[in-house]
Amino acid sequence: MNYWLQRLGMAVLLLLAVSALTFGSMNVLGDPLFNILGPIANDRENPRNLVLIEAAEAEYNLDKPLPERYVRWLGGFVTGDLGVQFSSDGQPPVSELIKERLPRSFTLLVMAQILAAGMSIPWALWSASRANSLIDRSSTLMTFLVIALPTFALGVILKFIFAIKLGWFPQRYIAGDPTFTHLRQLFLPALTIALPSAAIYQRLLRTDLITTLQEDFILMARSKGVSRRNVLFKHALRPSLFSFVTVFGINTGALIGGSLISEGIFGVPGLGGAIVEAVAREDFPVVLAIVMIIAATFVLVNLAVDIVYSIIDPRVRR
Amino acid sequence: MTGLQTEGRVSDGTLLEVADLKTHFRTERGLVRAVDGVTFTLERGKALGVVGESGSGKTVLSRSIMGLLPSNAVLRGSVKFAGQEVLGLDSKQMRHLWGREMSMVFQNPMVSLNPLMRIGKQIIEPLQIHLGMDNTDAKATAERLLRDVRIPEPEKRLKQYPHELSGGMRQRVMIAIALACGPTLLFADEPTTALDVTVQAQILELIAEQRKDRNMSVILVTHDLGVVAGHTDEIAVMYGGRLVEKAPTKTLFANMKMPYTMSLMRSIPKIEDPSHTRLLTIPGRPPDLVHPPKGCRFAPRCAYARDKCRVDDPPLVTAETADHVYACWYPVGSPEFQERDVEVLVQLGQTANAS
Amino acid sequence: MSEVKVLDQEVATESEPDAAEPRRLGLLFWISIGWIVSISLAAALAPWLPLKDPDNNFLIRGDRPPYSPSGTHWFGADQDARDVFSRTIYGARISLIVGFVAIAFGMIVGGTLGIIAGYFRGWWDRIVTFCFTVLLSFPSLVLAILITTLMDRSLVTISLTLGFLAIAPVGRLARATTIQYADREFVVAARTMGAKHPRIIVRELLPNVVIPMGALALLGMAVAIVAEGGLAFLGLSVQDGESWGKLILLGSGTRELENAPWIAFAPILILFLTVVAFNFAGDKLRAHFDVKEIAL
Repeated sequence: MNYWLQRLGMAVLLLLAVSALTFGSMNVLGDPLFNILGPIANDRENPRNLVLIEAAEAEYNLDKPLPERYVRWLGGFVTGDLGVQFSSDGQPPVSELIKERLPRSFTLLVMAQILAAGMSIPWALWSASRANSLIDRSSTLMTFLVIALPTFALGVILKFIFAIKLGWFPQRYIAGDPTFTHLRQLFLPALTIALPSAAIYQRLLRTDLITTLQEDFILMARSKGVSRRNVLFKHALRPSLFSFVTVFGINTGALIGGSLISEGIFGVPGLGGAIVEAVAREDFPVVLAIVMIIAATFVLVNLAVDIVYSIIDPRVRR
Repeated sequence: MTGLQTEGRVSDGTLLEVADLKTHFRTERGLVRAVDGVTFTLERGKALGVVGESGSGKTVLSRSIMGLLPSNAVLRGSVKFAGQEVLGLDSKQMRHLWGREMSMVFQNPMVSLNPLMRIGKQIIEPLQIHLGMDNTDAKATAERLLRDVRIPEPEKRLKQYPHELSGGMRQRVMIAIALACGPTLLFADEPTTALDVTVQAQILELIAEQRKDRNMSVILVTHDLGVVAGHTDEIAVMYGGRLVEKAPTKTLFANMKMPYTMSLMRSIPKIEDPSHTRLLTIPGRPPDLVHPPKGCRFAPRCAYARDKCRVDDPPLVTAETADHVYACWYPVGSPEFQERDVEVLVQLGQTANAS
Repeated sequence: MSEVKVLDQEVATESEPDAAEPRRLGLLFWISIGWIVSISLAAALAPWLPLKDPDNNFLIRGDRPPYSPSGTHWFGADQDARDVFSRTIYGARISLIVGFVAIAFGMIVGGTLGIIAGYFRGWWDRIVTFCFTVLLSFPSLVLAILITTLMDRSLVTISLTLGFLAIAPVGRLARATTIQYADREFVVAARTMGAKHPRIIVRELLPNVVIPMGALALLGMAVAIVAEGGLAFLGLSVQDGESWGKLILLGSGTRELENAPWIAFAPILILFLTVVAFNFAGDKLRAHFDVKEIAL
């Protein structure tokens, strides 16, 4: 119990650090006023502009010192108020924007991880059970090549083959379509980020499986008359999952990065597009919200990894 | 001794006939002759001790008989189990024998139980595979098995994981698993090496007792002559992949012929020795099994070896009784042996005094 | 017996082929290095090579671009009738410069921090390690997006941004390797003989840290080149000039892919081969010197 509290404390601390860092750098390096008011933002000589400037400063709390603004923002964030966008009209509120876009990115990410795990586990079992055969070596070579393929290149290739040449999947995401159609539209962007991850997972799991298969308890299982299939599934798989689960968590960060690009190629209006636009406008509230969501996802996934550990290995239960 | 062509359980007769068994491994270094022409038979209900240093081929021998070898192994010769040739059967066919007819207790109970599977599940597994038991029956049987191997609170243990049990307990669980389907042949590969001395005796006793109760044959593989002394009917001594001496246990201890057997004997600590007595180890290393030495394989390390030993391979010959065989040109008790023994004993005395 | 081979010690032989000839890097390693050298030379010498002007429009009267690959245009010509082959070679200039500068920067800063942290240990080590952890807990692409937008998008800024991202992984490896060597006999010997810290670091530690760092540098080049491409795809890379990423982006619109897939696929092919070459060479080097796996 103590252990979990400690983990949770670390997670919160990390999120605070990330938010402070982002908030600080955006405010120090950027010029928020300029984005709200345009060129007149720097013209304090003109009394008419000065009125506008002061009004904007008051409205967006820009006249307060940085730490106070940070605390105000944090207070709003934990209560679900993500503030208003730094645009001339401030519409829609940031939380609306997030509510619209997050589900798409989230679905994409989940789909990608499911695809990656779904491909890599059977693939690794298959490879490890014929370790070092010609066919296993060629599959290892294949993983090497897939890992070397950048997300954007893979996205373009998949789009070309499956959407344009074969026409099996739509080329774009269309916002108004029903949910089921969306799943189909998200398949290719998900596959784009899933394939390299699947290759990474496969290599890792294959190596660990090969190590496990040399353990005495595997020989013991065989000597009991357990079939080859069940030795793999019931005895070898679970003890081999540790690095897989760890990397599954760490890799979420890379997948989030990849999803920004993949969303762009397949026109998915998710958080990727939103952050790129917001950064270009120096729209802090939006950038902050998205960075925090990404960081929180990352932290939560890694917390989940710890929980999964204790499920697969009774020895780490506390 | 002829093989009995019987399928069912017979209370006596020959269970296992191994003839000129050779197990070689193809490796980068060359062909490793781990077992190089071993012949013996084992009666039902009897216990055979296979003794040798590590690298003598004793473990490979037991795994060869069971068919639990990696793919780079090349097997030749014949292994007849209950009259049926089992050498060369693939693992799909062998699977019906594994756990059901022959099973194995491994050396290290710390790593031979699946760490992520409850004890109960691991015992139940062979019951369901071979006897087709349903869950309730299998659980009841598992509990009874744990009771048989003297594990207290069996119902509780069934739900535990291996790491929650002590080493001795785990070895008992291993034995329970091995016994689950009532095998006719049990291999115990160094079953006590990884355990405390006090626990060792209990485990050996347990195996002996189960053997009598179940009329099961046991092959007890060990490097320690002391372990097999009280718990076997016969002893086979292996060196360099070969059988170098085999005799009924009593005969062997009373009248060993091979200098190698004698060295093994001398390396057992005796209770009557004063504490801190230096143990006699056999000098040198076990032979290279890729390029075994010419002549007798033990010759390079043998204090009694003469020129003939380094040139000619000694055949297995019969001693005073027909059930005692050995492979040595100058066995213990021969005039040549006696002559050399005087010098050896003097040397031993000197080293003992020096320390 | 085919069944038996499936499961058990037999796989132990897996590592043996490597162990058997540890001194050889193999033909593929040299092919990879050969490719890296050729593409780098081609990029460096592009203006003096007999290449078509990458910005010239080679319009053919009566035929609307894009043109498919031919004897004149090896990789075809794009929407504006520009030669894709020469654009790809010129694209290598930006991609490789960004990769090289980024990794050089990351190596110098990360390597220095890591070696010092690993050598002196104590509170300095703790601070540096904590900073590495914080840096690594950001998804790197997001960090790159933040920096590139807040700063400008010149070649130097992009390169240094990616270099900044390389500091933590490089630093961690340098620190780990230093710790591994800092207690070895020859270092201890040097210390007891009264050698000064800088001298020990430069003379005794650096030569040992350089090899695993070299392997990491090759792998890092691949990562940096790909990362620049990713930024380009988000419209955030070098403003003037076209890197491979930007070339691929320009060719990846639905219309371009339908009519002239070579515009995107030519730079994809060259980029892919280059990344594979860097990865392969780095991997081999790492295996050769038995460097522990460090995730980038």
